[in-house]
Amino acid sequence: MIELSHVTKRFGDEMAVDDVSFKVAKGEFCALVGTSGCGKSTTLRMINRLLEHSEGEILLDGQPIRDFDAVQLRRRIGYVIQSTGLFPHWTVARNIGLVPRLLKWPSTKVHSRVEQLMHLLGLPVGEFAHKFPHQLSGGQAQRVGVARALAADPDILLMDEPFGALDPITREKLQEELRALQSRLHKTIVFVTHDIDEALQLANHLVVMRAGRVVQQGTPLELLHHPADKFVESMLGGVERGLKQAGLTRVADHMLPLSPTLPAQSRVPSSMSLRQALSVMLRDHTERLTVVDPHDMPVGELSMRKLIREPKADQGHDREH
Amino acid sequence: MSLKDAMPVEKGRLSWFSPNWVLLLLSTIALGAFFGLETASVAPNRIVSGTGYLVFSALGWQGALLGMVLILALIGFSCIAECQEYRDAYKAMLVIVMALLALMPFALMVATSRLVDSDLPQARLGIGAGFWVTLFVLLLALVELRTRLALARIWSWSLLLPIGLLWWLCLSLWLEPLALMREYHSRSEQFSEAFRQHLELVGTAVGVSLMLGMGLALLMRRYPRSQKAAFAILNFLQTIPSLALFGLLLAPLAWLAANLPLAASLGISGIGWAPALVALVAYSLLPMVRNTFIALEEVSPAVIDAAYGMGMDTRQVFLQVRLPLALPVMLEGVRITTVQAIGLTTVAALIGAGGFGTFVFQGLGQAAMDMVLLGALPILLMASVADALLGAVSDFLRPGGAK
Repeated sequence: MIELSHVTKRFGDEMAVDDVSFKVAKGEFCALVGTSGCGKSTTLRMINRLLEHSEGEILLDGQPIRDFDAVQLRRRIGYVIQSTGLFPHWTVARNIGLVPRLLKWPSTKVHSRVEQLMHLLGLPVGEFAHKFPHQLSGGQAQRVGVARALAADPDILLMDEPFGALDPITREKLQEELRALQSRLHKTIVFVTHDIDEALQLANHLVVMRAGRVVQQGTPLELLHHPADKFVESMLGGVERGLKQAGLTRVADHMLPLSPTLPAQSRVPSSMSLRQALSVMLRDHTERLTVVDPHDMPVGELSMRKLIREPKADQGHDREH
Repeated sequence: MSLKDAMPVEKGRLSWFSPNWVLLLLSTIALGAFFGLETASVAPNRIVSGTGYLVFSALGWQGALLGMVLILALIGFSCIAECQEYRDAYKAMLVIVMALLALMPFALMVATSRLVDSDLPQARLGIGAGFWVTLFVLLLALVELRTRLALARIWSWSLLLPIGLLWWLCLSLWLEPLALMREYHSRSEQFSEAFRQHLELVGTAVGVSLMLGMGLALLMRRYPRSQKAAFAILNFLQTIPSLALFGLLLAPLAWLAANLPLAASLGISGIGWAPALVALVAYSLLPMVRNTFIALEEVSPAVIDAAYGMGMDTRQVFLQVRLPLALPVMLEGVRITTVQAIGLTTVAALIGAGGFGTFVFQGLGQAAMDMVLLGALPILLMASVADALLGAVSDFLRPGGAK
């Protein structure tokens, strides 16, 4: 568990981070969101002591991080950055094995761990182990970056805009993979991004920052339902908030039993997001959709009229619940 | 009908004429020099200036014909080099150039047997302008061919090595009457002594400036405020003319030798190796410090950030990340410094430091061009070999073979 209480960071007279407090419970995925220069990266870098905080306290499993040796602390925390920071003079395998080797694992153990991680991240060992970073695509390099961060099996993972430099398609793919990875590994993740969609998709706790201060924090749906001020609201997409909210719920949550009338022509799988289902309605000029299970069997229907009449409080549940 | 047939044919234009202009120019110059300039000159002894001979009298009509055919073939191939249908033109040219280079020492042997009167024991054969220009132009052509054929460094060296060996064999076994060899034979001991001195001076200067340069670069990284001043001083040192610097060092070193018994016993004096070494180190510092400093400074901050973030300590970051990544650029500094020092050491002969410069300046004094060459050619060779070797090492150390 990570806990920041009243943390402040000053560079000279400039206040980079001002009285920031938040908690990340074990296994939780926390996203720090904000425009560039809002202090989110600075906050992240204080957690692994790449920067020392000026005031306040940062606790790791209840213990102040200043009690640990900075170098030892960092070896316990995975760290992924935007430009990957892979060592260009080392092979992929050697890059991934970095932290285990720093921790003086026996070489056979390092070797098998590297192979295990390459499998986990979809990097065929035969093809990639002996490649150098400059021979990789952006997406592959970032996979290696994530593998390197996970190498010594840390409980905590810090990620600083890891997908910021990737093209949209690769980014989406890696986001999907990270979500799948997280559902298996249950790491405690602090993730810095300026992309609110990325944050809404991945995190179950959002911390919105502005000019070094926390403006609002909560679950994605809490923020979408009750943005604290105009800044958070515009951050969340202004009038498009409704769609973003729909993007976080599944068709299954809003499905009605099949009505006795003629079923609608357009079909959508129940695992689809509500946002995509609305898009299908617009595309097919229909206000009713037939919901099908993975075997294409109708299991219910979705009606635009009924959706609009749903009481606000019931509007979906957080996906993670 | 293929796409090619459908293309309009340009009438009135020679379809095969798509030359490599560089090689065409070079081979034309070679042809001109081969016939227009003196191939060799013969002098009965060291003092009398020689009589020049053109290619027909030096090599006979057979030799002239063989040379002409080969050079004309070069011209021909360079005219079609860029043509799609003749992809192997460059390879053919490489073979011809190598053949020409290999034949040149034999041409000298032919000229010797034809021109030098064996009854005159002091008679000597001078290499003429035509020969030198042809050799130079062929080497330039080799550089161009290497780029065109994208030959790896190691390849071009393995091609040049047997030719170098052949030259060496011919020179040492059969080319006794060559003026250059006569000069060498009359002072072969001085020659090896000069070689040793030259190597020692360059080696020590590069070694010392490498240590000092590393130290200075590290200090400048630690105290950023000193950078401007340090670079200003090093730049200033670089602008002093080398002879002036030797002169400037004369007085303080002489004083040191006179007043410090230890200095005198070490062989330090106003002239000789001590001022030469100090001056060489002073000149070598700028390229060394600049390259080391920039190399260390320019390692990607993201990589350094990641290194610390992964939990490397300061020492590990420096030794395992910063230094290895900076090494190729640092070696580039060593390469520049070494080549520069090999050249500068020539001048050091003027203050009695020895080295190949001795021959150059003695030769100039006696108007004996062959003796100047005896000093200048080894310097040229040393510089190219040092350049190539250090360049290869630097290539080898680039991360993951990245260029």
